[in-house]
Amino acid sequence: MVSSSPTKRRLAIVFCLCLVTAIFQLASSTPVRAADENDYYRMISIVTSQAPTESRSKFWKPAPDGLALEVSGLAAVDDRRLAVAIRKGEVWLLDGVYEDPPNNVTYKQFASALHEPLGLVKRGESFYTVQRSELTQLRDTNGDDVADEYLTVAKGWGTTGNYHEYAYGPKLDGEGNLWLTLNIGMGIGKEQQARLVRDPALGVAQAPWRGWGMKVTPDGELIPVCAGMRSPSGLGANRAGDMFYTDQQGNWVATNSLHHMRRGAFFHHPEALASMSLPGSPIKDINRVPTGLPLPETLKRFPQLKPPAVWFPYKKMGQSATDIMLDDSGGKFGPFDGQLFVGEFTLSSISRVFLERVDGEYQGACFPFREGFASAVIRMEQGTDGSVFVGLSNRGWSSLGTAAYGLQRLVWTGQTPFEIKEMRARPDGFELVFTKPVDLVPASDTASYAMGSHTYTYHATYGSDEILKQSLSIKQADVSQDGLRVRLTISGLREHFVHELQTPGIRSRDGEPLLHPRAYYTLNRIPRMSSQEPGTNGIESCEGR
Amino acid sequence: MGASARTLARCGYGLISSRCAIVLLDESEMSCTLTLTMLISLATSASPPPSAAPFVAGYDRFFHEADQQQELAGTLLLGELSCVSCHASEDATLAPKRGPRLDGAGLRLQREWIQRFIAAPQVTKPGTTMPGMLHLGLPEETDRVLQALVAFLSTQRKPFPEFVSTAGNPIAFEFWMKGNHERGRTLYHRVGCVACHEPDNEFDAGPQRSPDLENLLAQLEPDEIRELGLENASRPIRSVPHGDLAAKYVRKSLTYFLLDPHETRPSGRMPSLKLKPDEAADITAYLLRGQNDDPQPIALATDDNLIDKGRRLFVEMRCVNCHDVKDAMPTSLATPLAQLDISADRTCVASPRDGLPYFGASDTQANSLRSSLAALKSPQPSVPAAPDAIHLRMLQLNCYACHEREKRGGVGPQRRRYFETVGHVDLGDEGRLPPPLDGVGQKLTGAWFKKVLDGGGDIRPHMFVRMPVFVPKSVASLPASFAKADAAASIPDLKTLPKSNALAEAGRSLLDMGCVQCHPLRGEHMPGVVGVDLAGIAARVHPQWFHDFLLNPAELKSRTRMPTFFPNGRSGVPTVLGGDVERQIAAIWTYLSDIDRQPLPEKLAGSKVHNFELIPDERPILLRTFLQGAGTQAIAVGFPAQVHIAFDAESVRFARAWRGRFIDAHGTWFDRFTPPAAPLGDDLVALPAGFPLAVLADPQDSWPTELGDNSGYKFRGYRLDSDGIPTFLYRFDRYEVEDRLVPASGKQLARKLLVRDTKVAAEKQVVWFRANVGKSLRPLSKTACVSESGLTTSVSGDTSPPGVLRSASEDLTEWRFPLDIEQTATIEVEYKW
Repeated sequence: MVSSSPTKRRLAIVFCLCLVTAIFQLASSTPVRAADENDYYRMISIVTSQAPTESRSKFWKPAPDGLALEVSGLAAVDDRRLAVAIRKGEVWLLDGVYEDPPNNVTYKQFASALHEPLGLVKRGESFYTVQRSELTQLRDTNGDDVADEYLTVAKGWGTTGNYHEYAYGPKLDGEGNLWLTLNIGMGIGKEQQARLVRDPALGVAQAPWRGWGMKVTPDGELIPVCAGMRSPSGLGANRAGDMFYTDQQGNWVATNSLHHMRRGAFFHHPEALASMSLPGSPIKDINRVPTGLPLPETLKRFPQLKPPAVWFPYKKMGQSATDIMLDDSGGKFGPFDGQLFVGEFTLSSISRVFLERVDGEYQGACFPFREGFASAVIRMEQGTDGSVFVGLSNRGWSSLGTAAYGLQRLVWTGQTPFEIKEMRARPDGFELVFTKPVDLVPASDTASYAMGSHTYTYHATYGSDEILKQSLSIKQADVSQDGLRVRLTISGLREHFVHELQTPGIRSRDGEPLLHPRAYYTLNRIPRMSSQEPGTNGIESCEGR
Repeated sequence: MGASARTLARCGYGLISSRCAIVLLDESEMSCTLTLTMLISLATSASPPPSAAPFVAGYDRFFHEADQQQELAGTLLLGELSCVSCHASEDATLAPKRGPRLDGAGLRLQREWIQRFIAAPQVTKPGTTMPGMLHLGLPEETDRVLQALVAFLSTQRKPFPEFVSTAGNPIAFEFWMKGNHERGRTLYHRVGCVACHEPDNEFDAGPQRSPDLENLLAQLEPDEIRELGLENASRPIRSVPHGDLAAKYVRKSLTYFLLDPHETRPSGRMPSLKLKPDEAADITAYLLRGQNDDPQPIALATDDNLIDKGRRLFVEMRCVNCHDVKDAMPTSLATPLAQLDISADRTCVASPRDGLPYFGASDTQANSLRSSLAALKSPQPSVPAAPDAIHLRMLQLNCYACHEREKRGGVGPQRRRYFETVGHVDLGDEGRLPPPLDGVGQKLTGAWFKKVLDGGGDIRPHMFVRMPVFVPKSVASLPASFAKADAAASIPDLKTLPKSNALAEAGRSLLDMGCVQCHPLRGEHMPGVVGVDLAGIAARVHPQWFHDFLLNPAELKSRTRMPTFFPNGRSGVPTVLGGDVERQIAAIWTYLSDIDRQPLPEKLAGSKVHNFELIPDERPILLRTFLQGAGTQAIAVGFPAQVHIAFDAESVRFARAWRGRFIDAHGTWFDRFTPPAAPLGDDLVALPAGFPLAVLADPQDSWPTELGDNSGYKFRGYRLDSDGIPTFLYRFDRYEVEDRLVPASGKQLARKLLVRDTKVAAEKQVVWFRANVGKSLRPLSKTACVSESGLTTSVSGDTSPPGVLRSASEDLTEWRFPLDIEQTATIEVEYKW
């Protein structure tokens, strides 16, 4: 081959390119778009702030676009209206929120001058909210949609003035009790020290009942129930009426977690034990808190310590769990009726939780559900049509998303996503229930699954690594006839370990991949084998109505 | 693959001339998918037009005609084409750009793309400065070389850096998979990518104003443009090509590249735009929007012999002279630069012979290189003058894509519309375009200049475009060079003026008269004002520049919107400092130099408070808050009568009263650390301490002080009447109490307590009301007394005057009344102070 002149060469290149361009145009076609969450759950923005704001700046201000809807509580009112509590201390009635697009929403101020209310429920004709220092009933006695009575239902927990002493709630349980949770104070100032109670043996000090979950009976009695909370920003009851709360990773809290609140349970944070000797405390006689050990070992030495029903592995399932919402829509919100949804602050998303009872204790799995909200998700409320209102505010911390605060609504499109709906523990593995029939070939192939397990260290350090990690081998995958269930036989299950399942190879019969091919099961107890009915003894679904 | 790579290798240089097309179509064994990918890649490279010449932005923009500064042009090319990587030279101005680090190529690139690229760089990525190496080999040999090189590259697997997601810096799990291409498209057109790279003409940059210059250009004829010397401003500027990214990268690698371009491209020609992880993922989603599946990077080769061969070739072919890799170092160089024969007719620049790399330079580029090489042979000044050094560096780093200096460069006319202000506020071109750099050496302090180049100088929050970060060593000399080139005068520092509060105060008043209309200060601003915050200006600019700029802004910055406050050198404010211009400017400087400790100008202080000051004008306003003097459960009530009170729900009493302004709610509403609020007004008075009521077995018993459940007190909230006035409700022992405190005439307060016995049938108790308490109390009448704090209380209602004045201790005197409760009792109290 002999070279020609540079000019000729370039001409030749031009020619080649023109030709291939022409071929390309013939061959081009619309690219196939992979399914995404938006195909199944559509997000409608009712209000989002115009600009993200440096949420930690001491000069923080709301965007100059009217009402700063930093949502801190949501309560469905009727088929048109939603009550919204906001962090600066107001409750607003928003009318027209179900419209799509929501172009005609009107705002009416129902209540004001509340001290950072962090929850809202409607019971009867009243609203209830927890302020920093009390549970308050808001009554409109003359029917003008403006509260004229701010009645103190219960108070008595300590408030030193420390910023971190948030008080969350209330939420209603199955018996008509109103529940609330109290943050641990952090960096309590000198002048605030006088308001603390102390446990000299443990060397802990906090304001009274800080780090506790409490309930208020219909008679107005305030009852301390359980302790050891760090930052319990979300509460919610499941369909059985049992009350749960979420905690957030930090000192003593290995990663975000979901707990069943019950009498006498202790969860993470020992500073809550400063109130152990106060009258009414159901927790007694904790003299020592073992630290630095793996969780399974800690549980042996610390009988009052109750592991969470669900751990949310850090980052993979979020960084700061918030509200808990039961899908009680009977299918109007898609295929997950009866399951719990958990808000996520930092990553502006919502996770999904399946719970079951093994030996009477709750445990279960969490799954990614929906991400991409405009700001930190801190409150969720199911509307009368089954759609979910999502309240946003990221002030004080930070979150993904485009806004500092706002209100969005999540609507099921009617399309069923291909998801792992349930993940149940079995004596010899797990059973997966899918929302749609699976393609038999990959689903029967053990190579379509991967499982690892890990646990955490219980210690005063901020968060914990995933420790004692192991890969598990999937021995067998049996698909049910209807294609909705897969029984995985797995060796090497370990109690008090999170079992992380990846299912990249699974396809539905229509060839779709799973929308979220991962799940995390907190296996506190391995169900016992039963001779009559393998794998069901000791297991009770908590979704039953 | 072999055949197609071979084909490309050939047609890339047209060595088989027009047969190329036929070959493309006839090679029936060619993989169909690959062909398509390949074609897509070629067809979607929008720019530059299919000239295979290497694209060097500064060269393309400023040396497009043969008569322009060929020597400098050649110097630029020698560096940008990395000639000195092989042709050694001591001349620091010729330091080679070099290519990307490839020590992570195995995790970052797609196999097919890298094969095609090595086979025919100029075809696979038109405009690349990577020379072809395989253009003259036998096809089979070319293929073997390619396989070996790619096998070696597959072993280059430097892991991606770890990004830690924290509460303050949230990062989504596997964030690189979560980009949103619409958001990415917006970012791409906003943050600065399109200063160099190809914009999408369809992108809607927002409501378009008509920038002055564009208007002008649109109205002028070409010869008028020439006469006015506006050719540079009107000439379209070609985009820096980024090739077929979808074929080259995987999502993770492009996201990480955008996050930290210098990690893989230490030349810093691609600067970092300080993207957050989610932003990088969004832009990646946009740039890779053609990718259907999620492609995988090069699989790790397993044939050790092949890998070894690849490594050997990588060194022998001198790939390693430009690309850093693990486990290989350069071993050979070519003829030193100064000894090159510029009259040779076969060179790696334009017409190669076997074994030489091939750059495919244009004729103009080749001429520029020759001029520069010729000049090298004659004696040269070893260190270039500062202006030349700046110019060369700005050409290399393409600073001119954004910045104008000495009538060169600046954002090109077709790109200006993508440069917008946040919220589309009209601040003129200076509010949306990167600043010109004329005289910047005179303006900026060296420390601030350095900070800007280090990425820490973001003071224009109203602009979407970001000042990128370059590789430190490539810009380290710039502050000094600019200072020298612009003859930054070593002038007396205004900061050495004696610190004078009077002078600063005068400065503050001057700011009120002008500056604050357009500039925020410490984050505070007049309504609607966006612009550069003046806080910190004393650390940013030289005082002399500040002085000169204030005197005559337009002289230092043409077309600035900054008005002059000293027309014809005279002050418009004769009342301050006697109208002395020099002293006034010094006063402003003094104030701004000490801004962190000085109070804000009145207008801003007013505006700040005004945002969150609660002003009861028609109805009372309540604020539940932490409040100095009223505890952590305070309920402050502001009345339109400008007398205000605070109830303490913990100790169940009215705790404070004051007059005038009510309260600032900012801390309560929006401050993360919830500082206690403070009454804003005057005449603050403490209302009588302790519980108002007590059941005492003996009149001499001391007054109970214990708070909490054992006190017998239970706060029950409040009720608002139709005027919005609260009545506080509490229970004490067996009594329900309604307690109300409202303004009375003369800006005093009137209180009414209604005590209701819930167990009328039960045995009667003696309930006491404590009307006043203090260190010492002085009776004024049977029904009034005054405390040492000046608080006078007068009592009436179902009480029995004169009550009991009791000294409990040296420090505590009380005035108590027994109550007469028949089902209910009413007490009325007036407070005066």
